[in-house]
Amino acid sequence: MAGVLSYRPVSPGTEADDDGLAVGQEWRSPGRTVTETDIVIFAGLSGDYNVLHTDAEHMKASRFGERIAHGLLGLSVQHGLLGRVLPGALGERLVAYRWKFRGPIRIGDTVHVTARIGARREAEDPGWGVVVVERRLVNQRGEVVQEGESEHLVPRPGAGSAAP
Amino acid sequence: MSAAALYFEDVEVGAELATPGLTLTGAHAAVFGGVMGDPPPPPGEAHDLLPLVLSSGLGWRVPAPPMAVLAFMGCEWRFLRPARVGDTLRTLTRVAAKRQLKDGGVVIEDRRIVNQRGEVIQSGRTTLLVARRPPAVPS
Repeated sequence: MAGVLSYRPVSPGTEADDDGLAVGQEWRSPGRTVTETDIVIFAGLSGDYNVLHTDAEHMKASRFGERIAHGLLGLSVQHGLLGRVLPGALGERLVAYRWKFRGPIRIGDTVHVTARIGARREAEDPGWGVVVVERRLVNQRGEVVQEGESEHLVPRPGAGSAAP
Repeated sequence: MSAAALYFEDVEVGAELATPGLTLTGAHAAVFGGVMGDPPPPPGEAHDLLPLVLSSGLGWRVPAPPMAVLAFMGCEWRFLRPARVGDTLRTLTRVAAKRQLKDGGVVIEDRRIVNQRGEVIQSGRTTLLVARRPPAVPS
């Protein structure tokens, strides 16, 4: 699959606007192996010590067999992975996330992100546009473990772009 | 003896919860940047996802027993204002709806994160899968 190491779009999309962001443009991120360390640090940072993430003995008896990553750890890893690939303009003003947690991320799973610009429209404030990025977090078996979309405010080239 | 967890049967629609505050520090921002794999934010700023992450743990710091969450199913979330280092954040939640399933139940919560000035910086809706009360063990 193209784009894994090149950090370039898999598909350039069509009808790019002046800012170079086109509906249909696709990316694939590098992979990342989610480790026990990630989960321990995330529990300490967030304060979410649910047994799902912190009690190995309890989880032995569960259908997962082992601790699983916090859902929001997956979302955060996903955001960071894609942030290494997406154009910088999409990194500035995050407006919304609509997100589904589909399945567990187990210790040792390697995940990557595929993403696509699903839509773009004018923002209420002239000089800004809204870009919708569809995102899927996929594990090493090709299973979609999380998916959804984010909305970003992007300055319109040429327009005076005082922050709304 | 207080209950160890709040099970699906115990969840009341309309119930509200306000957490204690947590002051966002540069250490939170730096650790989160490391876990996420993003470059560290400029000094004084925090990543937009960090308040949402911190709010997930704030719910554990109330006197009430924690909800017996089996899985985080989804969220619709809006980022209204930036969070800055030094802000003190609290989470306000309200149970909006619940629906029973075979092995548990779905609980939908409206959640707001407010800062020390009472401004809502992020808000949205989270959907949780919550365990049903396990059958009583005969003594």
